[in-house]
This record gives sequence, structure tokens and C-alpha cells, in this order.
Amino acid sequence: MWKQTPGYIEGWTICSGLFITGIVLQLYSGKIAPDLLHFPINLISGVLFLIGLLLFHLISIKVKGIQWFAGYAAAVTSLSSLLLLVIIMGLTRQLPSSYDLSRENGFVRTGFMQMTVSWPFILLMLYFLWILGLVVLRRLSRFKWKDTGFVFNHLGLFIALFGAVWGSADLQRLRMTVSMDTPEWRATNEKNETVELPLAIELKAFTIDEYPPKLMLLDNITGEALPKKEPVNVSVETCPFEAELLDWKLEIVKDLPYAAGISNSDTLNYVEFHGEGATSALYVKAHNVTDDTRKEGWVSCGNYLFPYASLRLNEKMSLIMPEREPKRYASDVMVYTKSGDSKEASIEVNKPLSVAGWKIYQLSYDETLGKWSRYSVFELVKDPWLPVVYSGIGMMLVGAVFLFISAPKKI
Amino acid sequence: MQWNHFLYFAFPSAVCWAIAAILAFKPQHYRKSVVLTLAGVVIFSLFIVGMWMSLERPPLRTMGETRLWYSFFLPIAGLITFMRWKYKWILSFSTLLSLIFICINIFRPEIHNKALMPALQSPWFAPHVIVYMLAYAVFGVATINALYLLIRKTEKQASSIALCDNLVYVGSAFLIVGMLFGAIWAKAAWGHYWSWDPKETWAAATWMGYIIYIHFRLHKPSEKKTACYLLIFSFILLQVCWFGVNYLPAARGNSVHVYSQNL
Repeated sequence: MWKQTPGYIEGWTICSGLFITGIVLQLYSGKIAPDLLHFPINLISGVLFLIGLLLFHLISIKVKGIQWFAGYAAAVTSLSSLLLLVIIMGLTRQLPSSYDLSRENGFVRTGFMQMTVSWPFILLMLYFLWILGLVVLRRLSRFKWKDTGFVFNHLGLFIALFGAVWGSADLQRLRMTVSMDTPEWRATNEKNETVELPLAIELKAFTIDEYPPKLMLLDNITGEALPKKEPVNVSVETCPFEAELLDWKLEIVKDLPYAAGISNSDTLNYVEFHGEGATSALYVKAHNVTDDTRKEGWVSCGNYLFPYASLRLNEKMSLIMPEREPKRYASDVMVYTKSGDSKEASIEVNKPLSVAGWKIYQLSYDETLGKWSRYSVFELVKDPWLPVVYSGIGMMLVGAVFLFISAPKKI
Repeated sequence: MQWNHFLYFAFPSAVCWAIAAILAFKPQHYRKSVVLTLAGVVIFSLFIVGMWMSLERPPLRTMGETRLWYSFFLPIAGLITFMRWKYKWILSFSTLLSLIFICINIFRPEIHNKALMPALQSPWFAPHVIVYMLAYAVFGVATINALYLLIRKTEKQASSIALCDNLVYVGSAFLIVGMLFGAIWAKAAWGHYWSWDPKETWAAATWMGYIIYIHFRLHKPSEKKTACYLLIFSFILLQVCWFGVNYLPAARGNSVHVYSQNL
């Protein structure tokens, strides 16, 4: 694809060299241990990397030959090589980085299924970062105001990537299951080891808000939603409520968001019930406009405590209520820190809580019990390098504005 | 407003855009084609606003809904290009491409559901997806231009490839903003700004493709053919990122970015 012009040959050679070295290292020594670069090793090696960059830059002022590394050919070839690995990564199923590959054979041993901790990827990434750093230094050493956009884009990317690579080993992601009214301070990491934390969480309440109940038609024999491929449904938002599904006119007479199912010999009846384990039920009158048949009865999605109920309309189909979809789930918690502080808060998806350097995320709950779950699962994340990455991201956002403005060149 | 009202808005919009595209070939009708394109955009936006209100959430979740935005932004991107650089054929292409996506939405609508799962309820949702769709639309126009250059080796090639450059700069600006908004949102929703989820992996690949194009053009301005191929290749990466990941075996059931498989 590329014409073999001076500059590219060197670039491809270096990248292939790094790639082959990476493969050899991978085959002989296995993947890079994800926690190899823990503090303070990452800080020291990061500073050494930066000093190395600066020295290389200073030498390149005198030695013109190595200025190639801050040029377009180096940028294009290193980016392309990295792109190749990213494409391979996108085409292969990735395994968690803690998964042990050393006993596997063949393709798996190349590390491509754990690309981000494989030697070829890391080597090419560091090489790319090296080139990016040199580009930034060269431009900064002869800075003019018109370079502002350039610096925001390139330095921003450098800072963000630098923080992400060197900070990755300091990133802690823990999982904590907290039962109702029992303070918990132990969490598990990715390797399933128990970690004790300097803070404790107590679950006070767990709530799920749901979307309105839905009604849909199911094929009695195959159990498929009807019509096939393009199933229809209605969302019952008020009561009384009228709706149409295919040739059935539906009239919703009763809506019990908190209901208990009571079965007498052959009928299943639903009554209002506000206790733990309540389910949702609708009383529906159905009228077929084509053949004038009428049916009525309870329809309920059921749950772990009460059975579901469907309304058999005819030989072919039944009316059912699928499980209600959660709109919002939240945990009301009390958080205690080692210093003696306590904090009451609500944690929900997209709204994590920040305490003592940790961010606490709502992750899961007891799905069989649904909204009556007695526990809540949180993810606790600590990423001390986040400010570095975010300052890089901020610079890139400013850089994008410059990119946008600088586009319309005269034609 | 419901999805089955789509035709009543899409058809008049498409007619406006088509007439505008034809008029654009005659310089004396310049104003008329601009006004008509805008009229189409307004009609189309009424449907989007209506959907937004009746769904009580931005229509951005399902593939069908993102196609809606794509077919909305394409004529806008085409119009801006037309007004800025006076390419008389650009409106025909943007209209055609927009029409293809409108037709997909008419003939193969996907399940349109009102419910928005908690992970998507965020102020970052709308800007993240809208900015991305805008970038995709701009890149779509750039790709068409690259194909046009490869097929018809026109005399004015120097200026035509410059159009690609401009569009790639604009598109990349949007792409970067969309990606970084996504990163900030991911931190709030999933605990980390970048997790190499299949969609993220392909987003990175797409971004790299266009960045390579920019640097290659600066380095070798005379090698236009290679640049055009690079642009088409990048657009293929973009397609994989956009909907390819829904079908890729490596990504199936493995991506937190797939939202439309449930009812």
C-alpha cells in the first residue's frame, strides 16, 4: 500500500522488530503481570521514561539523524502497527487479564486474547508514547502561538495515555456485597482475594423503581412473542386504560402494583398486598373485534413468591405481562470511615459516591428477589492517577475545538 | 408521535432534499436549494422532537434511533459543505445516503422500546451519541468524496482532496469529543474511563484510522490515491464500531454497549 519512500522503511522495520521481540518475550516469559508496575515502581519508571525522553530530545538537536523519531513517518508507522493490534483485539474474544494462559497452546499463547497485557501491545504502545513525547518536546522547544492547538492535542493525548499506562497497576476495583443493616468492610478483588478496607458500608434500604407494566401476546405453542420478528406491546400507564393488540381490544380494569396471588382450587385471584414479596397484577377484559369473543382475567408477571398469570385468549395465543423493567435502582447507605466520620448517602447507577479517595458504584442486587433484594452489590474503585488522565482528556477536548476551527483551509 | 408516523415526516423531507439536490446543479437556484434542504431538515426534526417527547427520553438507544439521527445530520453536513465550498454534487450524495438510512428505518425498523435502562440515564447520554452521529455523518460525506475521486479522476483533484481533509478535521474533532465524553460517562457509570469493551476497541481503531489519514496527508500530500483508500478503510472501521460489533462473534454477548437485544 505504501510507496517505499525514505522514512517508512525504517518505521516498518522498527515496528516489526518490536512486534517480533514482543512475541518472543510473550512465548518465553508469558504475559506482563498486570500488577508489575505498582507504586512506587511505576512512579520511578515513569520519571525515568520522561528523563529519557528529554535526553533523547536534547541529543536529537545535535544528532540530526534521530530527528526522524519526531517526524510524520514515525508517527504513521507506529500508529498503523498499533492499529493492526487493536484490530486483532477487536476480532478476538478478550479474556480478563487475571486469567492464566501459561498452560494454553497455539494461538492463545501469543497473548492476543489478553491484548492489553501482552508484550507486543505494550512494547508498541510505549514506542508510540515515546514518539508522541518527542513530537511534543520538539514543538514546545520552538513554540509559536499558532502551535496552541497542536500542543493541546498532542500533549493532551500524551498525558492521558501516560497516566493510563503508568497508573493501570494502581487502579483498584473491588466488589463488595452488603446485606441489610450489617456493616461490611471486606471486599474481593479480581482474583477473588479478600481485601479489608479503611471504610465500612451499611445498607439501610434498597429500592427499585420500575417502568409501567407491559402487556404482550405470546404464541401458546412456541412461546414466541407475536407477531413474530416484530412483537407488539402496550405499556399500561394509568388505570382504567384501553389499548389494542392485533385484533384484540383490551380494557384494563384493575391495576395492582402491589399484589398477592391467591389460588382457590382452580382459579388464581390477586388481591392488594403491601408486604415483602408483592408482585404486579392487572385485571384485563379482552374483546376480539374479528370474531367477537370475549375473555377476562388476571395477568401478572409473578416473582419468586407468587406465580405468574397469563390470560389464554384462544387456541393460538395468550396475553402475558413480561417482567417489569427497572427504571432506577438505588441503595440508601451509611458509610463509616476509619477517621470516625460517617456519611449517609444514596448510591445509584450513574451516580457513584465519593468517599476517602474511593468511588462507590451501584453494581447489582439479588436478582431472584428483585426489588425485595436483601443485599446490594457495590463496586469500589480507587484510581490515584485519574487526575493525570483527566487533565489530558481536558486538553484534548480543547484541542478538538482547535481541530474544528483549523479545518477550513482555502481551496 | 409514534414510529409509524415516520413516513409522513420522512417522505416530505426526502422530497425537499431531492428537489434541492437537483436544483443545486444550476448556480442560479443556489438559494432555493439551500432553503429547501433546510425545510426538509425542519420537517425531519419535528419527528425527532415528537419522538423525544412521546418516548420521554432522547431517541438514541436502539440502532433504528441512531439511524434516525444519522439521516438527519447527513443533509446538514451536506448543506454546510455545499454552502462553504459550493460543490454542486454534494447534496445529491448526502440525500442519497440519508435516503438509504430512512428506507432501512421504514422497511426494517427494530424494536422501539420506551424503557431506558438505568445505565443510560445520564446527562452524558445525548451529547455522547449526538456528537458521534454528527462525526459519522461528516465522515460519510468524506468517504463519498474519496470514492468519487477514485472513480472519476477529475482535473480539480487537488482541490477535491482538500475537501476530504477539511471534512476529516471536522469529523475527527467531533469523534474525539464523542469519545472523550464517552470516557467521562463510562467513569461515572461503569467505574473506569476505558475498559477495552469491543465497542471501545473499535472506536479506538476508528480514531486511529482517521489520525493516520491526517498525518499521512501532511507528510505525503501528493499521494492522493493512497489517502483515499485510507479514508475508505477508516470508514469501514467506523461501520464495524457502529453496528458491526452487534454481529461480530468476538463481541457478541461480551459488550456492555449492546442495549437493544431485550424487549
